[in-house]
Amino acid sequence: MGTLNQLEELTERLYWLIRLRWFALMGVSCTVLFVDKALHVPLRYVPLYSIAAVLGVYNFLFLLYLNRLKTVSPTELPAITNRLANAQISLDLLGLAALIHFSGGMENPFAYYFVFHMIIASILLSRRASYFQATFASFLFLLTIGMEYSGLWRHFCIYRYGFCALEAGPLPLLGSGAAFVSTLFIAVYMASSISLKLRQKDAMLCEANLLLKEKDQIKSNYVLRVSHDVKEHLAAIQSCLDPVLHGMTGALTPAQEGLVRRSYDRTGKLMFFVKALLEITRLKLSRKIEIGPFSIRETAESAINFVEASARAKNIKLTWAVTPGVEEITGAQVYIEETIANFLANSIKYTPEGGSVDLIVGDAGASVLICVSDTGIGIPEDEISHVFEEFYRAKNAKAAERTGTGLGLSIAKEVAEKHNGRVWVESQEGKGSRFYLSLPKQAAVPGGV
Amino acid sequence: MAEILIIDDDPDIVESMRIILECCRHTVKVAKSGEEGLKAAGAAKYDLIILDVMLETMSTGFEVARNIRTGFNNQNVPILLLTAIKESTGLDFGNVAGDKDWLPVDAYLEKPLKPNELLAKVESLLKGR
Repeated sequence: MGTLNQLEELTERLYWLIRLRWFALMGVSCTVLFVDKALHVPLRYVPLYSIAAVLGVYNFLFLLYLNRLKTVSPTELPAITNRLANAQISLDLLGLAALIHFSGGMENPFAYYFVFHMIIASILLSRRASYFQATFASFLFLLTIGMEYSGLWRHFCIYRYGFCALEAGPLPLLGSGAAFVSTLFIAVYMASSISLKLRQKDAMLCEANLLLKEKDQIKSNYVLRVSHDVKEHLAAIQSCLDPVLHGMTGALTPAQEGLVRRSYDRTGKLMFFVKALLEITRLKLSRKIEIGPFSIRETAESAINFVEASARAKNIKLTWAVTPGVEEITGAQVYIEETIANFLANSIKYTPEGGSVDLIVGDAGASVLICVSDTGIGIPEDEISHVFEEFYRAKNAKAAERTGTGLGLSIAKEVAEKHNGRVWVESQEGKGSRFYLSLPKQAAVPGGV
Repeated sequence: MAEILIIDDDPDIVESMRIILECCRHTVKVAKSGEEGLKAAGAAKYDLIILDVMLETMSTGFEVARNIRTGFNNQNVPILLLTAIKESTGLDFGNVAGDKDWLPVDAYLEKPLKPNELLAKVESLLKGR
C-alpha cells in the first residue's frame, strides 16, 4: 500500500514537473525576448530560441508518454517513472547549461537556477541519484567555463562594454566554480535530508493507518459477536413474555400485565438497538454488497407504505413524488429502501403533529437524488456535522424522544458509501430538515461485485 | 389439532413455542439438537416441523432440512424455518426460502417470534398440506 501511494505520488510529481517546465519555458522565452528587443544585448538569439523550442517539444513528448503510462502494468511502473524522472532532470540540466552557454556562461546571473533542479531532484529521486545529478550539473558548468576559458568554445559576453568575466584570470574563475559546485551539493544535501525525513514519516503514517484499520476490523468483529449473542437472549426473553401478554398462560391482573408489558417494551427497544448495531457493524465489515437492477419508484413507494401508519397517527401530511424518467437503477435494493424508510421515519418522529413530510426522488444526470424534507424540530447548527456519526443524537432530538439508537443515520451513510453515493442534511433548528441521499444510477460498488 | 416437531436448542424459545402451540391444542414434540431432530423425524410422521437454522453450527438447520426431505417419514412435511441470523449474516431468507433445492423449507419466521405470526404461519402451512 505504501509503495503504491509513493508511486502515485511520483507520477503526480512528474506531472507537476511538466507543468513547472511550461512555466520555465514561458520565463525563458519572455526573458530572452526582453533582453533581445528591449535591452538590445548582442547575443546569438537563434540558438537561444531553438533551445526554448526543443524544451517545449520534449516537454510535450514527456506529457504524451506519461499519459500513456496509465496502461502499463503496475509492476513495471516504478522503474519506468524513476527512469523518466532521471531523464527529465538530466535533459533539463543540459538545456539550462546550453542556455547559459549561449547567454554569457558564468557571467549570466541566472546560472544559479541549477539549484532549483537540485531541489527538484532531491524531492523526486533517491539520494544517490540526486547527488549524481549534482555531479552532472557541476560537470556541465565546469565544462562550460573550462571550454570557454580555453577558447575551444566561443564565449558570448553579455556586457556590451568593458569587463568580461574570463579576463579576470583563472583564480576568480576557480573560486566561482567552487562556490557554484558546493552550492549545488549543499542544496542536494539539505533538500534530500528533508525529503527523506518526510518520506519516512509518510511511510510510518501509512503503516499506522493500516494498523488502525486492522484494529477497527477486530473491534467490529468483536461487536458483531457480542451483539449477536445479546440478540439471541433478547429474542428468548421476548418469546417468553409474548405468550404471557397474550393471555396464553392464564389471565393477568392489571398490575402484572402492566409490568410485563413494560418489560416487553423495553426488551423490544433493546432488540431494535442491537439489530441496528448488528446491521451497521456487518455493513462495515462487508467488502461488497449484493447489487442488482431495481425500480426506485417501487422502492420509494414501499418505503412510504412502511411509514404511512405512523404519519397518520401523528396527523402528518405525507407526500411523495418521483421525477418521470427516473426508473431503474442498480444497487442493493433492500438497503436503499431501508435508508429511505429510515429518513422518512426519522422525519416523522421529529415532526410535531400536523406537520408535513415530503419525499422526492429526482434525476441528477448520472445519479438519482432522494430528498426527504420535513417541518420538524430541525438540527442545531453546531450539531449538523455530527448527525451521521455513530450513536450521535442531537440535543433537541434527545429532548423530544428519549429513546433512539443514534445509528439510523450512520447506517444510511454506510449504505451511501457502499454505493459510491453520498448523504447529507440541510437543516434549520425549529423550522425543519432536508435529508439527501445521492446514488449513482449504476452503482460502482467498491471492491467489485 | 396437529402433531408438531420443534427442533431448536434454545430451551426458552422452545418453551414459549410449546405454550403458544398447545394453547391451540396442537401436540408438540421437542428435539434439542439437529441430530435428535433427525432421529425424531425418522421415527414418526409429523404434520409440521419447526426448525431452527442455528443448531450445532450456523448452518446445521439447512442440513437437517435436506436430510428430513430425503428421509423416510416426512419427505413432504411442511417445514417452518426459524432464523435469528439475518442481521449478522445479511442472508435474506425471503429470497432463498423459495429455492426448494438449496433450502427445502416452506416458510420462515424471524426470531423473536410473535405468537400471532407463529400461529398464522402454522395454520396456513397445516392447511396447505
